[in-house]
Amino acid sequence: MNGDGSIQAFCRSRVTRPRLRRWVALLICLAVFGSAQAQAVYTSYDVEAAYLYNFGKFVYWPDDPSGASTPFTICILGDDPFGEDLNTLVANETIQGRPITTKHLSSASSSDTCQIVFLGLSEQARLAKDLTELSKRPILTVSNLPGFLEYGGVIQFLQQNNRVRFAVNLTPAEQSGLVLSSELLKVAMYVDGKPSTEVKP
Amino acid sequence: MKAAFRRRSIAARLTLMNVLVSSAALLLAFVSFFAYNLISFRQAAVNSLSGEAQIVGANSVSAIIFNDEPTAETTLSALSSSNDVQAAAIYTQPGTAFAQYLRDGNELLQVQPMPANQMQAHWVNGADILVGSRIVFQGKHVGVVYIHAYLHGLRAQALRYAIIAGVILLFCLGVALLVGNVFRELLAEPIVSLADTARLVSRYRDYSLRFAPTQSYNELRLLTEAFNEMLAEIQQRDAALEQARDKLELRVEERTAQLQAANRELEAFSYTVAHDLRGPLDIIRGVEYLLHQSEERALSERGKEMLGRLNTSVTEMSNLIDDLLNLSRATTTGLHSTRLDLSLISSSILDGLAKTNPDREAEIIVQKGCYIYADKGLMQVVMQNLLRNAWKFTGRAHPARIEVCCTKKGSETVYYVRDNGAGFDQALADRLFKPFQRLHAESDFSGTGIGLATVQRIIARHGGAIWADGEVGKGATFYFTLGSSRP
Repeated sequence: MNGDGSIQAFCRSRVTRPRLRRWVALLICLAVFGSAQAQAVYTSYDVEAAYLYNFGKFVYWPDDPSGASTPFTICILGDDPFGEDLNTLVANETIQGRPITTKHLSSASSSDTCQIVFLGLSEQARLAKDLTELSKRPILTVSNLPGFLEYGGVIQFLQQNNRVRFAVNLTPAEQSGLVLSSELLKVAMYVDGKPSTEVKP
Repeated sequence: MKAAFRRRSIAARLTLMNVLVSSAALLLAFVSFFAYNLISFRQAAVNSLSGEAQIVGANSVSAIIFNDEPTAETTLSALSSSNDVQAAAIYTQPGTAFAQYLRDGNELLQVQPMPANQMQAHWVNGADILVGSRIVFQGKHVGVVYIHAYLHGLRAQALRYAIIAGVILLFCLGVALLVGNVFRELLAEPIVSLADTARLVSRYRDYSLRFAPTQSYNELRLLTEAFNEMLAEIQQRDAALEQARDKLELRVEERTAQLQAANRELEAFSYTVAHDLRGPLDIIRGVEYLLHQSEERALSERGKEMLGRLNTSVTEMSNLIDDLLNLSRATTTGLHSTRLDLSLISSSILDGLAKTNPDREAEIIVQKGCYIYADKGLMQVVMQNLLRNAWKFTGRAHPARIEVCCTKKGSETVYYVRDNGAGFDQALADRLFKPFQRLHAESDFSGTGIGLATVQRIIARHGGAIWADGEVGKGATFYFTLGSSRP
């Protein structure tokens, strides 16, 4: 993670110092690192869950014949980092007038009813295959796996200054018939690899 | 202030009133207009700021949801194009700003909590306005946008109004002064001149003065004319009154002169008569005396009796003439007042009377030390008359008593002669001092009826008064004072 990385870099810069100082610095680094990582993990997934649900409000799906009668479904493929948090978050909420439900997928092929699919860390190896399968349907793919966008994912979570940000890849979204709101693009860190400030109107 | 105002003339008051009234009206109009303008200016500013806040809020929804502070701040900084906006902030939870925009050098925005159930709110403090607007996304409250603006235009507006108000006020004051001057000429000055003339008239009692006529045809002219008519009337009456008085005085003088001349003639006549009567009477008396001395023995008893009666009549006549002469002298002779011992004079007169009737028993009481300031000869006549009267009317009283006393009464000394003689009827007291008026029959008490009249005249000439108390059969008291003729 980026936040943890920067703390590690800070600690490494101190290692070149004399021995006594080295030990003190190491102790401090351990303390800081431990607490920072624990907190970062907790807050990151918490925030990501909220984002996952909020993305639904800024993305327009092509008209579904089943329409508003079916619930809006957020699916998790692979490892689920959110646990009950996501369920708690979406309970009693609606997106475009549809109640929200969550679903765990065993494979990408069973994503028929999903509007949003989050790919867990365990999907790293099958990423290309999964995305090929998912791109057949109008599905917003989201993950924090590195290189997710290069494989054809739509939104990838990033970390900047201990803050959860995200990058957007418009091409696969357009190909699968999704329209991303300009409001969403405005707050994205990168859009199609460029900092989002450049694509702002 | 009020007292100072009262002392001013009508003209100054009118001008002052004009100025005050017009200034007050103008100021009131300006203040209300200014207040109205201020309020509407502010309201317009609030409306426009609220709109901006709503737009900013709508544009910040995604930034808030995805915690993108820089984007929210960029959105907020778009407000910098409005010069009045000093600061803006987005709050997602109370206490800490999610994003804020501060114009150079401005302090952190102080925000107010949004009232519940209200999408928009604003707070105004002078030219400072704080507008709050809730951000709602898909039916959910996600935050609040606050914009703080300082209305530069307000101060400029106020200044502009103050300048316009000042200029118009000055202009109106000028007009008020001008109108005041016109008033002074038309209204105040005639009144002032009226007042001046009235003051002159009342101070010098000069009713020949007239008020200057005014050109205008109004109440003032009526007033002036009425005053002038009144003055003319007063003047006329004064003249008539004076004329009447003069005429009256002249007539009185004339009458007085006539009366005095008549009086003088009468007195001269009576004096002459009395004086001229005396000559033949003296001859009669002489012849009677000679007859009595030389021819008495030759006369019969009847002749002697007739001679006695002649003698009595001659004596009476002589007394009458003396009295008449005294009476006329009482008013004609000059007064030579000196200090006299009235007690002494009374005693000597009473002694004389007692010698003429040595067989009469009489109790004589004369108070010592009664002094009087009067003419000696005339006072002699007064006391003689009074005492002779007392002597005469006590002829039948046994024992007779005659008192002469003096007593202080206020600043005056009252002298009195009291007897226990025949007295008189008090009801007839006013006739006592008239000449030839007698209250007793000649057969009872002889007399000429002139004595008390003479006494009264002498007392009057000394500026005094005489009066009498009496009761028939019990005696009489004659009081007199000489007034304040004493030194």
